[in-house]
Amino acid sequence: MKVTRRNFLKWAGVSALGAVACNVFPDSEMQIQSPVDIPEDLVRGRDTWYATLCGECPEREGVLVRVMEGRAKKVRGNPLYRTNAGKQSVRCDGALQSLYHPDRLSGPMRRTGSRREGTYAPISWDEAMNTIASRLGGLRSSGNSSAMMMITGPMRGHQAVVVDRFASAYGGSYLGLDIMGDSVLRATSSEVFGQTNLPSFDLENSTYLLSFGADFLSTWLSPVQLSRGFGNLRSHEHGGVRGSFVHIGARYSATAASADEWIPIRPGMEGVVALSMAHAIVSGPDGGTASNMAGGASRDDLLAALDPFSAEHIVDPSNPWYVGVPESIRGETAAHMIERIAAEFAASRAPLAIGGGEAAAHTNGASNMTAVYLLNYLTGSVGGRIGDGGVVFNPAPPLEELELSYSMGNMDNWDEAASNLRGGQLQALMVCGANPAYTLPNSTGFANALDSAPDNTLVVSFSSFMDDTAQRADLVLPVRSGLEDWGDDVPDPGPGFQTLGFQQPVVNPLPDLDPRSFPDLLLALSGDLGLDDGLPDTFYGVLRDAAQRLFDAGRGTPLLIEGEDHPNMLTFPAFWNMLLERGGWEDREATAGADAPAPPDLQQIAAQHSRPRYHGPAGGNIFHLVPFLHNSILDGRGAHLPWLQAAPDPLTTVTWQTWVEINAHRAREMGLQEGDVVSIVSNVGDIEAVVYPHPALPPDVVGIPVGQGHLPGVEYATRDGEVRGGNILSLLSPQKTDPDGGLAWASTQVRVTPTGRNIRVSKFEGIVTAFPIGTEHEDPVQVTGG
Amino acid sequence: MAQRKPHKWGMIVDIDKCTGCQACVVACQAENNVQLNTEDRFHERRPIEWIHIQRYWEVPEEYRSRPEDAPFQDIKARFLPVLCQHCENAPCEPVCPVYATYHNDQGLNVQVYNRCVGTRYCANNCPYQVRFFNYWEPVWPDRMRNQLNPDVTVRSRGIMEKCSFCIQRLRRGERQVEAAEGGELNDRALAEGNFAPACVQACPTGSLIFGDYTDPDGQLSQYVAVDEDTNEKVLKDDRAYQLLKNIGTEPNVIYLKKIDPRRTGEGGHG
Repeated sequence: MKVTRRNFLKWAGVSALGAVACNVFPDSEMQIQSPVDIPEDLVRGRDTWYATLCGECPEREGVLVRVMEGRAKKVRGNPLYRTNAGKQSVRCDGALQSLYHPDRLSGPMRRTGSRREGTYAPISWDEAMNTIASRLGGLRSSGNSSAMMMITGPMRGHQAVVVDRFASAYGGSYLGLDIMGDSVLRATSSEVFGQTNLPSFDLENSTYLLSFGADFLSTWLSPVQLSRGFGNLRSHEHGGVRGSFVHIGARYSATAASADEWIPIRPGMEGVVALSMAHAIVSGPDGGTASNMAGGASRDDLLAALDPFSAEHIVDPSNPWYVGVPESIRGETAAHMIERIAAEFAASRAPLAIGGGEAAAHTNGASNMTAVYLLNYLTGSVGGRIGDGGVVFNPAPPLEELELSYSMGNMDNWDEAASNLRGGQLQALMVCGANPAYTLPNSTGFANALDSAPDNTLVVSFSSFMDDTAQRADLVLPVRSGLEDWGDDVPDPGPGFQTLGFQQPVVNPLPDLDPRSFPDLLLALSGDLGLDDGLPDTFYGVLRDAAQRLFDAGRGTPLLIEGEDHPNMLTFPAFWNMLLERGGWEDREATAGADAPAPPDLQQIAAQHSRPRYHGPAGGNIFHLVPFLHNSILDGRGAHLPWLQAAPDPLTTVTWQTWVEINAHRAREMGLQEGDVVSIVSNVGDIEAVVYPHPALPPDVVGIPVGQGHLPGVEYATRDGEVRGGNILSLLSPQKTDPDGGLAWASTQVRVTPTGRNIRVSKFEGIVTAFPIGTEHEDPVQVTGG
Repeated sequence: MAQRKPHKWGMIVDIDKCTGCQACVVACQAENNVQLNTEDRFHERRPIEWIHIQRYWEVPEEYRSRPEDAPFQDIKARFLPVLCQHCENAPCEPVCPVYATYHNDQGLNVQVYNRCVGTRYCANNCPYQVRFFNYWEPVWPDRMRNQLNPDVTVRSRGIMEKCSFCIQRLRRGERQVEAAEGGELNDRALAEGNFAPACVQACPTGSLIFGDYTDPDGQLSQYVAVDEDTNEKVLKDDRAYQLLKNIGTEPNVIYLKKIDPRRTGEGGHG
């Protein structure tokens, strides 16, 4: 048919009528307006989700990363990974911004000016590695290998094996740095439970949870694993019982806010409250049974030993063990509350007591931890299997070499390292995954020692960003991001059985970037120096070799979907592929020994319990300082990631700034308002912070987040080229925890002094109007008595 | 375009489990190309968070008229995740002069960015404060643009935006699951195929539950039933409530009350 104007219009009309007649579009949408799809309806394109491990926080969650056309788009928890089971923290997606950060270094840099001048020039990888090899070779040939030190963050898996083997084969030293880490908890776990690995806390199957100090729902230990357990603890579906949760601690944290009840106490007195609860349990109806589980002492002997800690005593301000608790809380006397909670705890099925964080970071941290974890013995909640609730022991790692021998540095180590740097005894320092110039307190003098190290000292920072340490280094070598590199991890705490997570590169580095894998660089150096580290030449080879041994052992499987049959693995390549596809390996039969260790001696523990020592200036307006890891940027490692900087603090909703939480009454008495800039002064330094009057914080405590106050150099971590906020770690008193000698980071006292300035607080609160509070059935947050 | 299978998407928010951790907030921003909320955005009081956590301080009843006098140990913080409620009677819809926002056949309140002319009437009319206006052109450093989700439109200056229940994921789910014979986009398929909204997927405590109200075997069915005659939702759980129910917006997001065992009886707070 000839296409004429008339015919064209005819057919166009018929087509339009036909489209409507065929009812192509949903009725309801037709009724409102013409059917136009939104762009989200139309997008096509293939995506692929690769399993790997998240490197943004020490928990190292198993994750799936969505990749489209060679670019990483989204991170989510790997449902098969047993510790986080598909869930993720606020930090996981930060890996994407770290990967594509505008200030990622494109290649190696060499210092051209004096240290701290910040002038660097690009050099080639060959030149950089030759410089290191030549320096290390020179030291070694002159018999001075011990002048080399390596510092990394808290590494696990074969990455740590490579560093450890390198340092030992070379003859240098190797220290892990995690200044607010869990060394006291580890020492206690070893002492109380006789376990070298951290135990798992089976919140999911417990019905009563006591937590002492630890902000476990935000940052402590393994927050996604513990939050997942907490969610299940709160499930009505779970055995028909909603588990109870009581928090004891000095600061009203997000964890305290999520508890049914909170007992505010003076910092460092957590152990006293735990012993008081032990007293109440032993003197209770099941006390005889409980006492049998605590060292075999008679009930009367135990009661006598615990009597100084009775609830009546510890709430009495004239008593030496007074814990600083308010007289009454929500209409109940503190003494009655402690006894009631102890009785409820003891009468529950599989109750669980956990503690750490600020409770462990005192001069008496080990005493506190011992007293807290002992409560689990009194209620028989120790050494069961996952599913039993309580404290579940973890087996040794699946491969022998993963039982790491390197130690986390304590304060003596850092003092010595700084002194050796200054004195020229330490001539080669290599740092990766840590930022000692920022995280070590001023009292160690580490940052100054880096600044004033002799010219012949070689400081190498394996870092993709010009962080506080890199800006003092001679060489800065960009390393691959976790999403670009191989790796593996034994989660700690694990899921109660042996498991090994595998990390694979999910994307290649961008064309304008040339980062290298840190373990590969060390293995290459090892080859150049002729060291006998007993490892293959590449890190990929190390991991293949480990997987081969798992395969040869003929036990366990790659992570399986629930209900999936054990795969019949015929070849190693198929096994390897499945390991990477699923994100790890596990052997559910490989659990810790069934025998619960002998209970510790409660009498002795009570007799040896010590008080915390505080250290700070004298005079007025003195507060206990409770520093805390920032909910999203942690100890500053995420300060350069805008999503994490902009994620509001759960309680204050402050973003991007360093704030100080002060009790609202106390702030009023001091004439302070929100946004007032105050000076926080300790015996060793001072910083400035903006005031956030906190309605629920005890009046003798200030809370300040760690994480800000970096040297200018990396966008978002600083503001317009200026330092953003203050570094609270810098002014901590150099008091030590016992017995590990770590930093007692919660034992500092500070003076708060107004500066007379006021700035706007960068917070989310108030930006969207809160819902009006009206009659109770219209209220936005409705609460029921349960 | 093929006829879509009938769904009525909705969400349950169990505030008894919410710890305020912000995992949902960042997961949403990563998935949906939400502009970077710089410090200046907060000072200007214009950050964009499609889902955000509101934190309320609860004081004892006797201190309601003078909360500043309440003893610190008796004050409780309460967390309330708030996102677009995808109202059945959405006040934002009728005021849009260009039909940029409408209610689709799956219970979603949809924002059509390329129709929006930026009158902001919808945000004025939204009682939940979950619509966000782009006062500036969003800016990402060049390298960071590699992360942007190609399934989601980048909204330019002058455009209103809000939670879409991650409609791009639902559409992928429909294409990949329901295109196959007998395929059904149920709870299991949503979870296994990465089709659930990013916030739900991230939430470590399981405070957010997403699903189809019309699926009798779905997770939502234990909290809410849909009346066959009126097509209205009937709350089945004692703890279930809707935000600002009295104004009649009929939200598709249902909240479960916080439980406080030390509290007797029912009640809200301030």
